[in-house]
Amino acid sequence: MSGRYLARKGVQAIVTIAFILVLNFILFRMMPGSPDRVIARNLPAPVHAQLLERWGLDKPLIPDQLVAYVGATLQGDLGDSYRFRGETVVDVLAERIWPTLLLFGLGEIIAIVLGLGLGAYSGWRRGGPVDYVGNGVSLVLYSMPYFVIGMIVLVVFSAGLGWFPTSGMFTIAATYASPLDQAWDFLAHFTLPLTTVAIGLVGQYSILMRSSIIDVMGEDYIATARAKGLRDGVVLRDHALPNALLPAVTLVAINLGYVIAGAITVEIVFGWPGLGTLTVDALAARDYPVLQGVFLLLSISVVLANLAADIAYGALDPRVRT
Amino acid sequence: MTADAASRVTGRRQWPLPKLADPSAPLLVVDGLRTEFTLEAGRLRAVDGVSFRLDDGEALGIAGESGCGKTTTALSLVRLLPGNARIVDGSVKLWGIDLVQKTDRALQRYRWREISIVFQGAMNALNPVRRVGDQIAEPIEKRLGQSRAAGLARARELLDLVGMPRDRGRAYPHELSGGMRQRAMIAMALACDPAIVIGDEPTTALDVMVQAQILELLERLRRDLGLSLMLITHDLSVIAETCDRVLVMYAGRVAEEGGVGAVFDHPRHPYTQKLMGAFPDIASGRRTLDVIAGQPPDLRNPPAGCRFHPRCPFVMQVCREEQPPEVRFPDGVRVACHLHPPGGDGVVAQAAERSAPDAPPQSPAPVLAAVPEPDRAPDAGAVPGLAAAPDLAAVPDPAAVPGPTGVARPPVVPPPAARTPAP
Amino acid sequence: MTAVAGADVRSARLRLRVRNARSFVRRFLGRRDGALGVAILAAFSVVALFPDLLVGPLQTVTTATGRQLEAPSVAHLFGTDHLGRDMLNLTVHGTRISMTIGLLATLVTLVIGVLVGIVAGYVGGATDTVLMRITDFFLVLPTFVLALILAPIVLDLIGTDAQIGGIRATLFVIVVVIGITSWASTARIIRAQALTLKERAFVSRARVIGASGTHIMVRHILPNVLNLIVANAVLTFAGAILTETTLSFVGLGDPFDPSWGQILNAAQESGAPGLGAWWYVAPPAVSVVLVVLSFTLVGGALDEVLNPRLRARR
Repeated sequence: MSGRYLARKGVQAIVTIAFILVLNFILFRMMPGSPDRVIARNLPAPVHAQLLERWGLDKPLIPDQLVAYVGATLQGDLGDSYRFRGETVVDVLAERIWPTLLLFGLGEIIAIVLGLGLGAYSGWRRGGPVDYVGNGVSLVLYSMPYFVIGMIVLVVFSAGLGWFPTSGMFTIAATYASPLDQAWDFLAHFTLPLTTVAIGLVGQYSILMRSSIIDVMGEDYIATARAKGLRDGVVLRDHALPNALLPAVTLVAINLGYVIAGAITVEIVFGWPGLGTLTVDALAARDYPVLQGVFLLLSISVVLANLAADIAYGALDPRVRT
Repeated sequence: MTADAASRVTGRRQWPLPKLADPSAPLLVVDGLRTEFTLEAGRLRAVDGVSFRLDDGEALGIAGESGCGKTTTALSLVRLLPGNARIVDGSVKLWGIDLVQKTDRALQRYRWREISIVFQGAMNALNPVRRVGDQIAEPIEKRLGQSRAAGLARARELLDLVGMPRDRGRAYPHELSGGMRQRAMIAMALACDPAIVIGDEPTTALDVMVQAQILELLERLRRDLGLSLMLITHDLSVIAETCDRVLVMYAGRVAEEGGVGAVFDHPRHPYTQKLMGAFPDIASGRRTLDVIAGQPPDLRNPPAGCRFHPRCPFVMQVCREEQPPEVRFPDGVRVACHLHPPGGDGVVAQAAERSAPDAPPQSPAPVLAAVPEPDRAPDAGAVPGLAAAPDLAAVPDPAAVPGPTGVARPPVVPPPAARTPAP
Repeated sequence: MTAVAGADVRSARLRLRVRNARSFVRRFLGRRDGALGVAILAAFSVVALFPDLLVGPLQTVTTATGRQLEAPSVAHLFGTDHLGRDMLNLTVHGTRISMTIGLLATLVTLVIGVLVGIVAGYVGGATDTVLMRITDFFLVLPTFVLALILAPIVLDLIGTDAQIGGIRATLFVIVVVIGITSWASTARIIRAQALTLKERAFVSRARVIGASGTHIMVRHILPNVLNLIVANAVLTFAGAILTETTLSFVGLGDPFDPSWGQILNAAQESGAPGLGAWWYVAPPAVSVVLVVLSFTLVGGALDEVLNPRLRARR
């Protein structure tokens, strides 16, 4: 893959991140209850002025405050949380990021494998029973917001059948006889939210892959492969799939933005202590530094995911590499 | 096939003939082929009783307008048909082996290894995400069981053979020009040393200079490798230049067939005459080009009798009612037209009558019905009865002198009349 | 003589249009998915337009007719919520809110998206580059989080108690926020089409006779992207409903004008799923799924009818 292609994509990513930083800054200064407004209330003028000066809020918004903000961010200082006294934003984020990563990372992987597999099979054997059932189910799932799936799953498997606990990542205030017990407790709590995420994501991958395979099947090079006397499975694996996967790669990246929406809501439904519940709680508590940090983190993740998708696409499709 | 031809074929081939092959049988005999498409609106018979023969080392051109069934005929040979199409009648005998009777699995053996295809518009016919060399080597590895290194090495040889630099195998299809892609497709078609290469409009998408180069290449390969070619094209000039014999199709049926010289100098079917007239001739004076009025018929509801009759300038009443029988002329040309009825002047009696005494009572139709079962077993273990089965195509034509490649010989064609109801 | 001819041409054109429209409707409704989708949407539209006729006014805490969290019974077909309000009543009224917000949000999205798309595609050059950069930026942003953050800001700007066009501020904010965050993909699609149209003969002819850019964009380009807009509108509507439901679920909705998302939010807050009160969750959930599903079906059918996929030869 040409270095020029990589460099171009890399530079675009960096520029986008720069814009995100600026947007982040502006948004949070505009938010109601933001620092300068909070501090400005009901204070005698000299005290007010002193406080503003202390927090650097008396300087003009642009460029001074902006530069200060960007500088601090680049050094890894995202400020202190309003809500969790004594903890920096970075601390708070670090604590809550891995439950989210675990839930959504694993969920995406399962959904991709299942969805692409199901979609490919449905498309290849178009019109078969698997196709009709699979397509119908995918369509319905695609129309459901993730949290609806979550609520249904919760009602059926937790409240209804009692197989799984209702919320949280671990049983509250539990003591464990061994790490194995702890792992087991974790798994019990993890299963329902993971299932929800996987179910929610499977639909669109399956629909996309099916459509993609059907498009590819009509191409002449598939006819050539068949004319060569290659077995059906080989034609699917060596000729159809590599071409059909290309749109799927793009979808994974585009999806990330929407997955984040799902992340927040699914975590709420299951009380999963990740970035999602953190966002909503911080919003309610007006904990702006944390909110800013979350927004930054999520935005940069999406940019990086898009970059990764571009690179993967370049690896798969030689036509874009110039 | 004479002993000469047989040894040349077996000699140059790197791989043995199929177990069931009869080396004394002609290379390819197609008899009464009928292929039907099942559509929502009904059945469409794209190929309706087509018969012809291809001998070793020959180049046969199949000509006709779009939609006349020429491509479907070619694809039917190896049953590369879409899901809604079926061969409903006829036989395709490769060295005496009827491919129509084979199961899909058994038929695999013949695809690409005996009959390969060069598709038109090679841009889409090559997988865009794989290197060209890989795609050429693929059948060598997968079908002939060679190692990857051996496959790639052979691919390089083949690229050389078709006049491309060896290292271009590392390129992707979009990095090659149209002409080079077509050469790569030809190299790919030769990968398994097939007996027959079918070219489906191989030069249509190319500009004239490149077209000439590709035709020259095909001619050279035919000479050097003793290949048999079937060229499907609507462009008569390509056939004139490259082929020994020509088969003119119209609306799923054979209109005229014979040596290129004979047919082009003296076309007998009105459709052929019109086709010839539609092509500019640089040697003749200026004239308005002929245009054939009307459209090819909708094959879901074809015209009764002769299918060309709505557009034929010489149409007679009988043309509207009866399908014209095939007759053969002394120069070997076959025509199906009421202007040339059996027994007319200068016309040899109807081909059916001529070979009838020689034909064994067992016509291909009963063979079709009676033999299938043993043939369904996998290739392993030749079915003893098959090679010995009486085969009309093997009946020698006393008038024909089998000769070396390049000499136009009157083809022996199994009488279609024996299969169709008497006209 | 020319006047008569002109009228003839116009009436002939009109007849042709009517014939085309009829054939389109016939083909569209002939498809199972299209017909089903339209039927479901029609049903929901009727409910959305006349909720009071069907179930009476929206119940509130004071006018609740049942006890808390009653399971479905003859008196309350869908049971009651945690305040004792009839679920059927709530869900029917929620239909009006959800569909209205969806519709308005779709309009906002389309207006912005089509505007940006056509201008970027037709004008080209630096304008195109700038607009596309902005569009790409919005495509990359996690729009949901952005919406979460924008909502309080916009609310602050408008004032919590304002009413705009009969819609309360909180809901209006949701409309605006969905519009701001969803226009980007529409813009992209429209721009691609505008680019193709720009090269067509009728556009260059218009330019040659001196038509202004605006005139061309409005009278020539816009009518030709209408097909695309309609197809896109259907999917945008589905997306808007999903987004609104999610935003309300997260707490941005209006408890006094509950949409389906808001009902689900209340359900979650009151712990209904954990208590097994499935009737609190099911009606709004099923409604959302049905509406989004039917939009998807209609969108798919529209696509097939307007852009039939040519069957490949092999």
